[in-house]
Amino acid sequence: MFKHILLPTDGSEISFTTIKAGIRFAKSIGAKVTGLCVMPLQFTFFVEMEIPKQALEQASKRCKEVAETYLVAIEKEAEKTGVECNCVYETNDCPYEAIIQIAEQKCCDIIMMASHGRSGVGALLTGSETQKVLTHSKIPVLVYR
Amino acid sequence: MFRHILLPTDGSPLSEAAVEKGIDFAKSINARVTGLCVVPKQYPSYYDAEIPGGFQEKAESECKENAKIQLAALKKVAQGAEVACDVVMETSDQPYEAIVNVAEQKGCDLIMMASHGRRGIGALLIGSETQKVLTHSKIPVLVYR
Repeated sequence: MFKHILLPTDGSEISFTTIKAGIRFAKSIGAKVTGLCVMPLQFTFFVEMEIPKQALEQASKRCKEVAETYLVAIEKEAEKTGVECNCVYETNDCPYEAIIQIAEQKCCDIIMMASHGRSGVGALLTGSETQKVLTHSKIPVLVYR
Repeated sequence: MFRHILLPTDGSPLSEAAVEKGIDFAKSINARVTGLCVVPKQYPSYYDAEIPGGFQEKAESECKENAKIQLAALKKVAQGAEVACDVVMETSDQPYEAIVNVAEQKGCDLIMMASHGRRGIGALLIGSETQKVLTHSKIPVLVYR
């Protein structure tokens, strides 16, 4: 029934556990996966001051490098399991927006993500990005724990 | 990967659509399903007035009748699709608690439910019972829309 699973990651351990489960799930139903990492576009500071252009460029470059290490890990895991995999890197200050956009663009029919990500398990609540994806997504979302 | 899917229903059209998709999904991955309908235990009134005799019993039996009809319909769809199916009726004032408990008791490895149920689509938010299940469940939840 599901043919193409979107696996967003923020590089956290809990998110990688979900990626592994997602790839196993894809294998068991003969689906392919798209790995996605969304990094921020802007770097806000608490004080409104000018940020040197060079520092911004460096930060963007560093973000991309880090994202690539996450995505390579997804590719490796998929290859090991024998699942077709593509990876996408996006910049957006609202990760949930990018997650939904990419899901639509790539024609994914399900999004699978961890109940919590980088910001951790805040008491009993569902993670904020997962929550926003659940609110705005038009395709099913599998919340993994 | 998933072998036993819990399909909670409140009889609303959205929830019925999720049940049908759940059965399709179970069929495609060769899993079994358990249908669940939770009926309320107490019928609070807005005022602290005494509820006239016989009303409580009548409301309860009507709710149970409805639940039976919903579960019978679910079972019929499952049988039509040749998917192994059990049905459970629970009495609880907190549907999410019953959903999480039955999932554990029956050894389900996935809960699949609609993003919204009987109370409809409140603006952009996700349905309140679905939200509570997401918050409290220790097993993955597939939120269908």
